Amino acid sequence: MDQIVYAFPFLLQGLWTTILVSAIVVALSLVIGAALGVGLVYGPLPVRLAVRILSDCVRGIPILVLIFMVYYGLPPLGLRLDPFWAAVAALTLFKAAQVVEYVRGAIGSIPRGQMEAGKAIGLIFSDRLRFVIFPQAVRRFLPPWINGVTDAVKGSALVSLLGVVDLMHAINQVIGRTYEPLPLYLLGAALYFAINYSLSSFSRVLERRYAFVRE
Amino acid sequence: MTESKQRREFLKFSATGLALAGAAGLTTLNAQQAAAQAASGSLLPTVLERGTLRVGTGSTNAPWHFENDAGELVGMDVTMGRILAKALFDDETKVEFIKQDAAQRIPNVTTGQVDITIQFMTMSSARAQVIAFSRPYYVEGVALLTRPDAQEKTFDQLLAKGSGTRVSILQNVDADTAIHEVLPDAQVLQIDTQANVIQALEAGRADAAAVDLSTVRWLVARTPDRYFDSGKSWRSMLYGAAMRQGDPDWLQFVNTAFTIGIFGHETALYDAAFKEYFGAQVPERKPGFPSV
Repeated sequence: MDQIVYAFPFLLQGLWTTILVSAIVVALSLVIGAALGVGLVYGPLPVRLAVRILSDCVRGIPILVLIFMVYYGLPPLGLRLDPFWAAVAALTLFKAAQVVEYVRGAIGSIPRGQMEAGKAIGLIFSDRLRFVIFPQAVRRFLPPWINGVTDAVKGSALVSLLGVVDLMHAINQVIGRTYEPLPLYLLGAALYFAINYSLSSFSRVLERRYAFVRE
Repeated sequence: MTESKQRREFLKFSATGLALAGAAGLTTLNAQQAAAQAASGSLLPTVLERGTLRVGTGSTNAPWHFENDAGELVGMDVTMGRILAKALFDDETKVEFIKQDAAQRIPNVTTGQVDITIQFMTMSSARAQVIAFSRPYYVEGVALLTRPDAQEKTFDQLLAKGSGTRVSILQNVDADTAIHEVLPDAQVLQIDTQANVIQALEAGRADAAAVDLSTVRWLVARTPDRYFDSGKSWRSMLYGAAMRQGDPDWLQFVNTAFTIGIFGHETALYDAAFKEYFGAQVPERKPGFPSV
């Protein structure tokens, strides 16, 4: 217990980094993934093909390899990212590829007749998405996506591979000084759980909010 | 507007948003880093011109590189970085420590992310084929940590107990051989993590823990009531700093700075660190014959 009290202040900066990385990754991947996902479903053949190849490649590569590819592979191409942004870019890319699939699945599960009905009442393409497809698709998109968000929080521990001090790395820093791992790992588990449990509670609220059909 | 045209417009919007989001994340290009990479020739003038040294090291291994209670990065590796900064700028604070994982020690040097890696790196001929090592700044070894309240705490006592002696060590292919080199009859307990190797000693499951000599010295210097140095160390390994190959001027400068910092007229930083992290005095340096 003394160890936990002693260690806590050293973990705050790392905890903040973990939250920051997770938030940026989740926000960016949602925007990028949703845009690409719509492209995958409704785009012309070249766009569909490009998104399909990108998504399959990115999802087929371990995040670890992706992180090192971004960090070491981009500087020769003239793009030199500091470790924080390199890690964020790699995690975002990975998460965006997953979001693409959630979006494709969610939109794909909406019956074709909905689109046709939208057309029949004279809605243009973007209005059909906005008023007809998305409100229905979002309900099917939310559960897997929130699951993916908690995954992103846990996956953010990988940024320490580039020397970024996140929660996990901050824990290891204290262990590296005290040589007493167990209390620190318990504290780490509790902190990660606190973040993820609040996220999944929030997700249940969100799901309930979107569970009804608006007339 | 035709249907497909609308669709194209819509997708164009998405594409713009995408490009913007990407650009926001990817614009932290450091001009200095770019300049350093573009410059041809030696790192030495580049570093001097930049005014700070960029050292790659870790932050999770006492006494080599770790954060102290004040949250400052300290340790023997960090001190070697400061010695180098002092030699370059006559100011030991003009050094930026870039935290890196142990797996990044070589790639960060070869890709120019750091000027030098100083991170308890064992000098091996395999590594020397891809990077240039500085002269060694510490001789690491295996040593036996015991408890001050135990019946057998010195090496001779452990040896005398024969097959009754139990030694914990980190799992590796040659753990048995390493222990039996010095304690031929001892029982070897191979354990999964370094922290648990020490835990085995504390829990009384082992009479001695075989760990790095520097770890033994650090733990004994810090908590003499809990740990004891049995006084035996063997299997020397050299720790050196790593630099990019093909830059003899930079390598020569680092070697000169290290030699002066360890043996010459500016040993204050090294001596203080040696005392603080290993709890020992540096042997006296005698003028005359160059024993460097």
